Amino acid sequence: MAATYATAGTGRPTHVARGGGMSDRAFAWALIAPAMAIILVFALVPLGYAVMVSFRMADLTRGGLREFVGLDNYRTVLFDQSFWESIAVTLKFTVAAVGLEMILGIAIAFLLHGATHGKTIVRSILILPLATAPAVTGLFWRNLYDPQFGVINWLLGSLGLPEPNWLGDIDIALWSVVLFDVWQWTPFVALIALAGLSSLPREPFEAAELDGASTWRVLRVLTFPMLAPVLFLVLILRTIDSLRLYDAVAVLTRGGPGTVTETMTFYLFRTGLKLFRMDYASTMAIFFLYALLVASVFALRPLLRQFTERAQAQN
Amino acid sequence: MLQRPVHPAFSTLRYALILLVVLFAAFPIFWMILTSFKPPGDIMVSPPRLFFTPTLDNYVHAIVDKDFLRYVTNTLIVSVISTLFVVVLGSLAAYSFARYNTGDGHILFFILSTKMFPAIAVVLPYFLIFRDIGRTGIGQFLQIGLDKPGALIISYTMFNLPFAIWLLVSFFQDIPRELEDSARLDGLSRLKVLRKVVLPLAAPGIAVTAIFTLIFCWNEFLFAYILTRKTWSTVTVGVESFFTLQGILWGPVAAAATLAVLPMLLFVLAMQRWMVRGLTFGAVRG
Repeated sequence: MAATYATAGTGRPTHVARGGGMSDRAFAWALIAPAMAIILVFALVPLGYAVMVSFRMADLTRGGLREFVGLDNYRTVLFDQSFWESIAVTLKFTVAAVGLEMILGIAIAFLLHGATHGKTIVRSILILPLATAPAVTGLFWRNLYDPQFGVINWLLGSLGLPEPNWLGDIDIALWSVVLFDVWQWTPFVALIALAGLSSLPREPFEAAELDGASTWRVLRVLTFPMLAPVLFLVLILRTIDSLRLYDAVAVLTRGGPGTVTETMTFYLFRTGLKLFRMDYASTMAIFFLYALLVASVFALRPLLRQFTERAQAQN
Repeated sequence: MLQRPVHPAFSTLRYALILLVVLFAAFPIFWMILTSFKPPGDIMVSPPRLFFTPTLDNYVHAIVDKDFLRYVTNTLIVSVISTLFVVVLGSLAAYSFARYNTGDGHILFFILSTKMFPAIAVVLPYFLIFRDIGRTGIGQFLQIGLDKPGALIISYTMFNLPFAIWLLVSFFQDIPRELEDSARLDGLSRLKVLRKVVLPLAAPGIAVTAIFTLIFCWNEFLFAYILTRKTWSTVTVGVESFFTLQGILWGPVAAAATLAVLPMLLFVLAMQRWMVRGLTFGAVRG
């Protein structure tokens, strides 16, 4: 640090530089301009395009964009039962996957936090699922799920348990996608909860110990409240990701059997690129985008608050 | 927290459970790599085989017959260039937010909200837009169009900038302002301060952001699937192409999947110290 600074400072008299003739303000805006240009163009243009298509007839099998149809597409989508079913599937998946990941992840964090040996290596192994592309490992899970030759059913069979048809049974297929997601993302919750646990201050816990507080009481009054902001952030990030789930469904089940694992994203994809109804697909995209944006505006306030607090602390 | 004296039985139970968790997390990846070295006769048999005579045939099939290394090269080119764009543009913007609080947090929040865009909602417009750009002269010159690297690079830059900016802001905020102020007093211009004082100090943070961006680009599926056909497909799409109507050749699939996943596994192990911070947009400093 000191070295960099010293080299940078040599050979110049001590006076404030003109700063290239720009005010601080102009300089600050010039720095964000290129990134903002990209974000604005490539977020807003496609969005505007989707809005435009949603007011038109756009059946690609009959030659692309056609006449203006007002709110017809919105009406069609709102009365489309498959659309609502795909939302139900998405919500079911999200509640199950995120719920399991949070519970298991927090439990694993506590397990690891109390361990004295092998923490480093366990952490390294837990990171691995996070690094893999769901489109690739998800595909390989089809091998693990194979009803006849898969490792999972072999294990269940040798324990004398029933051997389900993981991806083919309409009652189980969605749970198989959940299980895959739990495999990939529970470590995320665990690692972050563990980081949160390790950074808690010692003093309150020492005081509680002296007062002879029970373990349960310490958890309820100290640990969880202090961990809450971190856990809330993890919950939000996981929820948003699960609502957008696409890759795992695409490679594991393709929405099937029937449509029992057809999430919102997959139905949208199928409508747009298999049935070539760009108009309905765009309309759904707008509903979906709106729902996610509203949710994230409320949910992501804490991140912003953290930023402003640090910004103020610096000034 | 304090370490209370624990009953040895609890301690054993704790380690048994941890072992179970580790096995569950590692097994699918382990099994995939193992399968990639199996001869056909040892795959999809009951009971599953742990021991066999290893062979490289699956890799030969994937690389020679299916040209899988081309997908790896494509992915490498697209991911590295996107990452460069993201890091350069992201660093400039993040510094501006961290140092000058540009836009009082409103712009930063807008940027974060674009991160919440579901890719699927914009992928159809992207498809149509890139198809149209690809037919123009400039689109052909810049390699922007369907099944061209430019289309993927633009999409990946756009989709990773928000995350990168948030993460970088948290790193820039860690740099003490006094250092910059005294460099300014020594007569350095703002741009020089950024280049010679701030960026070197932020180098670890920039490296972390770059690696995260690289991993996200490498693992991306939807855009690559929609925007490429054959020539510029990436590894995630490449692995999918091993599924034929005749059935699944699990050996070559496992070999291709291993080639697709291994580089990122190594990357992540090398940077595990920063995982928590990166995955929470810089909010949790594990």
